[in-house]
Amino acid sequence: MAVEQVFGGPSPPAGAVVPRPVVPRSADGERTDATPRHVACVMDGNGRWAARRDLPRTSGHRAAEATVIDIVEAARSAGVRWLSLYAFSTENWRRPGEEVDYLLCLVRRVVRKHAPLLHARGIRCRFLGGADARIPAELARDFADLTTLTSRNRGMTLTVAFDHGGRRDIVEAARSLIRSGAAPEAVDEDSFAAHLPFPDTPDVDLVIRTSGEQRISNFMLWQVAYAEWVFPSVLWPDFRATHFLECLNTYQRRHRRFGGVAADTNGEPGS
Amino acid sequence: MTQTTGTNPGGAEGTAPEPESAARPGALFGPGTRFHRLFDDPCWAAAMIRATVLEAAHPQIGAALVDSSTFVTHPWRRMTNTLRSLQRMAGTDEPAREREAARLNRMHARLNGTDAANRPYDAMDPAARAWVVATMFESAVTMFRWSGRPLDQAAMEELYAQFRAFQAVMGDLPGQLPESLKDFWPYYDRVVEEELENTEALRTILYHLFDHLPAPPLLEGVPTLWAAGRALAGPAIGVVTVASLPETFRRRAGLTELPGAEALTQGAYLALGAARLLPDGWITTENLLDLLSLSPDSDDPRGRTLAAVGDGMKRFGALLRLITPLPDASDRPGAGASAGRSAQGDAGRRGAEEFFDAVLDQTGNGYLDWPDLAAMARELSGRLDLDEPEETRLYAACAAWWRELQSALDTDGDGRISRQEYAEAVPSLAGPALIRVAEVLFDVTDADGNQTIDADEYRALFRTGFRRELLDADGTYTRAAFIKDFLAFMAGRQRSSAFDPLLAQA
Repeated sequence: MAVEQVFGGPSPPAGAVVPRPVVPRSADGERTDATPRHVACVMDGNGRWAARRDLPRTSGHRAAEATVIDIVEAARSAGVRWLSLYAFSTENWRRPGEEVDYLLCLVRRVVRKHAPLLHARGIRCRFLGGADARIPAELARDFADLTTLTSRNRGMTLTVAFDHGGRRDIVEAARSLIRSGAAPEAVDEDSFAAHLPFPDTPDVDLVIRTSGEQRISNFMLWQVAYAEWVFPSVLWPDFRATHFLECLNTYQRRHRRFGGVAADTNGEPGS
Repeated sequence: MTQTTGTNPGGAEGTAPEPESAARPGALFGPGTRFHRLFDDPCWAAAMIRATVLEAAHPQIGAALVDSSTFVTHPWRRMTNTLRSLQRMAGTDEPAREREAARLNRMHARLNGTDAANRPYDAMDPAARAWVVATMFESAVTMFRWSGRPLDQAAMEELYAQFRAFQAVMGDLPGQLPESLKDFWPYYDRVVEEELENTEALRTILYHLFDHLPAPPLLEGVPTLWAAGRALAGPAIGVVTVASLPETFRRRAGLTELPGAEALTQGAYLALGAARLLPDGWITTENLLDLLSLSPDSDDPRGRTLAAVGDGMKRFGALLRLITPLPDASDRPGAGASAGRSAQGDAGRRGAEEFFDAVLDQTGNGYLDWPDLAAMARELSGRLDLDEPEETRLYAACAAWWRELQSALDTDGDGRISRQEYAEAVPSLAGPALIRVAEVLFDVTDADGNQTIDADEYRALFRTGFRRELLDADGTYTRAAFIKDFLAFMAGRQRSSAFDPLLAQA
């Protein structure tokens, strides 16, 4: 069902040495068969789901709610420690005003409806982005409340990217870095990353983009640098826990193969 | 339930003198005396509200309250200060008592002017000062009566003698208060009938304060909960207070009494009185006030618990808001999308109007005027326990700042600065006079004059320990750093974990 493709670049020719940078997670020695630590989902296909049923686009968004709850629970029980959902991009403001309004209302309702449940399950929630003045104050308040409510939870961390843009985050980090007066020579990847929003977020291990679309769409650009991508063709409202587990499975198989190559090339240079 | 420590089981308390083992024979003040215990009684808070209402009804005192008092915007702070002051006055430490009396006198000497009807008022007026003592005494007597522990004649006379001694320590000449209790009641009734008025201060306390009482610092995280509780308790406190006032005055001032108010009042006092039966130290006015005035991020010994409580309160408040059903659950377009979040733009910085209300307008009348800055000077010198001439230096610096503000911001020339005038000017407050205030504040805080503020000096001003981020490399808080922080707070409107509790807290 899924069209799989490694997004990191063209497949290496057989036998070539892949200059794969040392990624942070390689140090923890959990490369094989491991559940990805950080999974991100680009929730794509709501509009098409509705169009196929001759329904307004908004009903596709409403149907997405059930998937979100399903996937949060599936990720938690599968042992994923960090789950990020791409709910609304900085570019989504260009959609028709009615659809945007509907989305804002829907998100607010979903947040309020599921807040106690998320809290009860020990999920720490936070919202990435959300600087736009077009976000209603009440919604911002609910975001802040859910963040406060669940701030002490030590279960899975759920990051909802709302009004998020990967480039904007990087630009903001650069601004913050300049303001801090860091010397140019002193800036490296780690010190730069410390200025990104939620610097405690680990790199994304696996990105799932539903509906078969194969684009990054400005999503967590810094964090997805070494991520594996899978593109199941199923639309987001139809995406269920079983699909999610299939994606994890795909990741693990693919990863095992990479582990073999990496060990030969980088692990023991002398042998 | 009238009996807690009595030695005569079965007899109503007050029919025999209570054991006063701790008190020296004949002592008027100090632990063990009725006077001292009075201020630890849970009912005293209610009695103090009542006394304040009776004071506010006195034209001179009412005018001073309206002009200068911070009780509308900072009621908890004011209540704590008043209580601490009374406890010092009633304590065993003779020099401390005299210093406190001198401090109170200096403070009151600064309160004078003319009221709205152009009648002069003066907080040092002997008759007005006598009335304050009279209301406290009479409210204490009423408190004992309502809470089911009526005082007998001997106890009442003893208490009266103690209040008169209190007045003497304040340096007031005898003669304003009648010599004996027998003559006190006619004096009291005469003032109630002839002098008290339905003043603006009285109306503010009765009809505004309780309904708008800001949350004490500890409960700031749960405004919804506080507002809900206040909506119930606010009017009740008002009703109880009105019902406990002398009937002749109620009639004259046109204060309506609600049916059942008397029963409610008696119930309230009885309930407060019952708190005495709890184990020692569970509920003393002192402990309650401490808790109420502590800000959650202070490092008081109870600080960590308190921070955890405050944190829990915040999360509880968040949950409460989240599970409150929306007024309109339909798919209405997000209203107010453009209005919101403007203040969010510059994190940690207040909007001009917010700063005006929270910090500058200490008296809460919507205008920035000398009494507001005087109230700041009062709070600062109270915390630092300043003597002369430091206190005068601080007041003088604030007065110079006031003149600077007035000439820069009072565009319509009415002598005071409205919220709008302040907001429109988007002022650069950091004129030379404000910097002078910062310098003087540093000087008086730096009690040992070593040009750095050490831990004890810091604690005296901010009531909490150093924060690591304040200190420079050698672990001291320098003059330059202090002045910079003060200016960032005052002129830059930056939120500050130190200055906010000092000047913005309710």
